[in-house]
Amino acid sequence: MNQKILIVEDEPLIRNELNTLLQSNGYETVAPEELSDVIDQIKVEQPHLILLDIKLPGTSGFSLCTQIRTFSEVPIIFVTSCNTDMDELNSIMLGGDAFITKPYNTAILLAKIASLLRRAYPVKQSEQMACGGAVLRLESSSLDYHGQSVELTKNELKILYYLFKNAGKICARGDLVEFLWDNQLYVDDNALSVNINRIREKLAGIGLTDFIKTKHRQGYTI
Amino acid sequence: MNSRRYWKNRIPFLLTNLVCMAAITVFLLVCGNSFSAVLLILVVWALVLLAGLFLTYWTRKRQMQKLLDMAGQLSERYLISEVMELPEQAEDQVYYQLLKMAGKSMLEQIGEVRRERLEYKEYIEQWIHEIKTPITAMKLLCENHRTDWTKELLLELEKTNRFTEQALYYARSEHTEKDYSVREMSLSQVVHQAIADNKYLLLQSGVRLEVEEMEDTVYSDEKWVRFILNQLIANAVKYRSGQPVLRFSTRRQQDRVLLVVGDNGIGISSTDLPRIFEKGFTGQNGRMVQQSTGIGLYLCKRLCDKLDIGITVESSEQGTSISLAFHINCLIHEVQG
Repeated sequence: MNQKILIVEDEPLIRNELNTLLQSNGYETVAPEELSDVIDQIKVEQPHLILLDIKLPGTSGFSLCTQIRTFSEVPIIFVTSCNTDMDELNSIMLGGDAFITKPYNTAILLAKIASLLRRAYPVKQSEQMACGGAVLRLESSSLDYHGQSVELTKNELKILYYLFKNAGKICARGDLVEFLWDNQLYVDDNALSVNINRIREKLAGIGLTDFIKTKHRQGYTI
Repeated sequence: MNSRRYWKNRIPFLLTNLVCMAAITVFLLVCGNSFSAVLLILVVWALVLLAGLFLTYWTRKRQMQKLLDMAGQLSERYLISEVMELPEQAEDQVYYQLLKMAGKSMLEQIGEVRRERLEYKEYIEQWIHEIKTPITAMKLLCENHRTDWTKELLLELEKTNRFTEQALYYARSEHTEKDYSVREMSLSQVVHQAIADNKYLLLQSGVRLEVEEMEDTVYSDEKWVRFILNQLIANAVKYRSGQPVLRFSTRRQQDRVLLVVGDNGIGISSTDLPRIFEKGFTGQNGRMVQQSTGIGLYLCKRLCDKLDIGITVESSEQGTSISLAFHINCLIHEVQG
């Protein structure tokens, strides 16, 4: 089951785009347009996490947070454009779990959401991804194929993770580099080619050849 | 008090006395007094007159010197009328009254200007918070509808954001006492965040990043340090050359942790080096590259001074490295064990 995120945001465009962003990253979202009965909606929807804007018409994120905390311990991320220390302090005092200032880096926002969700709702089963008989084991940083296994470095694991996540689609080199940067691996275009070649050699070692295909002038795909 | 002028001012009074002396000499002589008696009277008169004059001169001079000293010690000189005593002399009282009036209107003016400045600062801060909503919306739109040109747009948005931040911190650096909070922060985290803030700039200018493992935590304000790093990154990109490389590393130096940001750019000439933190200074490099305002490094220095971070620059033709020196508080580590 996908985890549900409730977005409290009064700016329609940002609300819609956040919706799209979170949905395309595999979350279920609820984004009420009417904010007057948002507390009731939270009680009904029972979201796994709430994104809460501080400046809202007629009310403020702080007072909503106080109300939510009376009946729920759901993780709350405050999102605001006022990055004063008073706001940050308030948000922590009132039981907010994180504080993000606009304009946020989407990668950082998604990482914060993921880490809060992991902490609040620990997942028991080990994380792995499969494609064409190959299984990528994230926690042990290795790849299995027909009973054989190969160890991966941090860069290789992240590259494969991105390819597995977008299996069947073409991943542009630029997007791949950007994804690596979002994960604090500062790999440039040349280094990416080197990494891809090394992965291919490793995979060939366990009998998996031609797994990563190069699409000329477009990128890679599996 | 100018003594020559003082005595010049006394000339009419002295002349009056001389005329009186002459008149009384003639009168006494005509009345048949002896010359020696008249001379005695004149000598006594002159002596008393001179003694009186010198005594007043001396006391006046002392009074005036006291006032000058008092004003000299005041940090706000225009407040002199508030601290001085009401003078004895009738004319002096008029001047005292004038001073009071001038001081009061001055205070009103200053109050007005201060209030206007504060209002302007508040307006700027509010404006910056408002502009961030559309910037966020544009960023999200770009991220959700990726094409080749959204990357260009995201780069421009990064720039927009950097300039607005600069304005915000410029407004804030005037009254910083309340605007920062010192907390434990991880150097590695703040470096990665600053890089994320400039992702498109760095990617599109082809900068190779070398980020060393950093384990140190320091006590400082994360937002401010992030802003400073953003300015340094923008500078490194602006003044790049050849195959740009940007290195982040940390080094221990006695009771300090140095965060070093090094590039292989065009460097800063040794004649410009001492002045780079001056407001509005752009130097030789600034004349070659557009968009040099001379504000970025000035702000960095100001914020560093407020946060007690030492900022030093080394530069050669092979590049520039800027180090931020954070104090390590041994006591905190001892308490925490």
